[in-house]
Amino acid sequence: MEPILKLRNLKVVFPTNFGLIRAVESVDLDIGDRECVALVGESGCGKSVTSQSVMRLIESPPAVTRVDAIEFAGRDIKDYGPKQMQEIRGKEMSMIFQDAMTSLNPVMTVGNQIDEMYRRHQGDSKKAARQKTVRALELIGLPEPTARANSFPHELSGGMRQRVLLAMAFACMPKLIIADEPTTALDVTIQAQVLKTLRGMQRGCGTSLLLVTHDLSVVASIADTVYVMYSGKIVEKAPVKDLFTAPQHPYTVGLMAAVPRLTDEKRKFTQIPGAVPHPARKPSGCYFHPRCDYATAECKKEMPPLVKSGADREVRCFHPLTAGGRQ
Amino acid sequence: MKSAYVIKRILYSIFVFAVVITLNFFIPRIGVDDPAERYYPPQGNMSQIEYEIIKQVTRQQYGFHVSTWQQYLNYLKGLSRGDLGTSFRPGSPAVIDLILERLPWTLVLSVSTMLIGLTIGVLFGVVAAVKRGRWQDTMLLNASTVMVALPSFFVALILSFYLGFELGVFPAYTDSTMVSSFTWTWESIARVAENAALPVMSMVVGSIISYAQGTRNAVIAVTNEDFVLTAKAKGLKQGTIRYKHILRNSMLPIVTSLGMSISGLIGGQVVIEQVFNWNGMGTLFLAANNSNDYPLMMGIMLLLSGFTIFAILVTDLVYVLLDPRVTVGDKR
Repeated sequence: MEPILKLRNLKVVFPTNFGLIRAVESVDLDIGDRECVALVGESGCGKSVTSQSVMRLIESPPAVTRVDAIEFAGRDIKDYGPKQMQEIRGKEMSMIFQDAMTSLNPVMTVGNQIDEMYRRHQGDSKKAARQKTVRALELIGLPEPTARANSFPHELSGGMRQRVLLAMAFACMPKLIIADEPTTALDVTIQAQVLKTLRGMQRGCGTSLLLVTHDLSVVASIADTVYVMYSGKIVEKAPVKDLFTAPQHPYTVGLMAAVPRLTDEKRKFTQIPGAVPHPARKPSGCYFHPRCDYATAECKKEMPPLVKSGADREVRCFHPLTAGGRQ
Repeated sequence: MKSAYVIKRILYSIFVFAVVITLNFFIPRIGVDDPAERYYPPQGNMSQIEYEIIKQVTRQQYGFHVSTWQQYLNYLKGLSRGDLGTSFRPGSPAVIDLILERLPWTLVLSVSTMLIGLTIGVLFGVVAAVKRGRWQDTMLLNASTVMVALPSFFVALILSFYLGFELGVFPAYTDSTMVSSFTWTWESIARVAENAALPVMSMVVGSIISYAQGTRNAVIAVTNEDFVLTAKAKGLKQGTIRYKHILRNSMLPIVTSLGMSISGLIGGQVVIEQVFNWNGMGTLFLAANNSNDYPLMMGIMLLLSGFTIFAILVTDLVYVLLDPRVTVGDKR
């Protein structure tokens, strides 16, 4: 599988009055053609910063970004200027944001906001763009697309607004779509519909998808490969099936145990003790060791490297869980 | 839905104006047994009988001889004909004539101040927001700090002294024949402009800075909104993002402050008009106040509040055009 995106050694730092905030530390990311990759982690672990860095949307200043390579569709875009990035954004890679209410311009009709994509990237006239917009809205499953295109964001329901964002992201058939918590602001039934649409569109259009989420059920339903992130670092990478059947990093194990299940009502709802470290005051050694049941003296001193731990799997732990039990 | 909102706003404004008319009529009458005494305070060299006669004549002349309710109805009747009453001034001129005589001169000052202030202010504000944290922005911040400490009459005095007396660039105070000799010729207009220069300059500095500050803050607030990031992620050009997405959304608070300042347009800049001896509404109101000319004061107050209500109504209606969300609160 030829990768559509190869991110190498991404570091993003925010200098603040309380010290350096190392939001992302040496993250590598590979996304294959037509693959759906999920980036999972708690809030504040750097997953949004990582995804926005891929599109070079992180403002600098305040952020300081260092990256060895952002190879996208066969070329390295890490040194592209603002004009070159504008050509790529929206056309070859686009983004779906979490809160459709605030992500849409409140004083423009949703139709006009989608039209902008076609007019900017395909040089369409107002009329031609609107025709494509209506078709896109129809494809995304919005009832009465012609009328809806003339609505303002506040006149639509939450699910409809999210669909508008989907239509916008898929408008120019990009090679990569980054969806940053695309369903978090929705209630569960709408969430399932929107996810189904997203997955269907992704398959239908042959797009690769980077899905940023903290919701493991979303991951299980649509991802192919999963990256688990903790405190700015990738702690585990695995194909989705392997991750759910045999998680290797203690943090991943903790995350899975924290998901409430319908099947075993009697089982106590567990949680990972402690809280995510403050990004300016990260612990020594492995960042997870203060919350980890298996931590040893070594974990307190040294940050474990990300090592290969199986077919297509990597884990950052001195004591990973294996199928045969604890090492 | 929109027309319902507009009609509701208009009806509401009419209601508020009716309340204002009523208060405007009754407040000056609180605690006064006899309005004639206000017009003609008792004087030492006058016998009781003489004074009673004079008061009687005054009551007849100004319509104070009937009951207060009857006076109120007469007042409303007068208003419907555009009659704001009769001034206590010698010769009993109609209040409306006195006001109409001064109003254009006040508008000369206030409208030019507003237009210049708004144009330059919004421009500066946008530049400061775009160049946030750089020297253009710092300069605006420093200028506004200074202006907070500098009232406009102080600026007026400085300008009048240096540009008026010392350098003689502009008239230090208004030529008293400017109004009486005005004709619609270029020469006459140029003379008005020359005389208006210093008063406008003294007010426009503060106006520019407050519009610039407001615009800057609004633009920065909108720039941090999520939809601007969306626009960026769509690959839109910098200019498109700025004008189509940011500027239109930042205009909302500016329209509000503009609406508020429109109501001040006819009030006259009492202090500035005094400093430059400009014969506008401000000096008229001050004169009315100093001579207990109640009908004139009531007339000016009514005009001021009427204009304020109108300005707020216009602001609300402009909002409907600018922001589609405005009617939402109305539906629920």
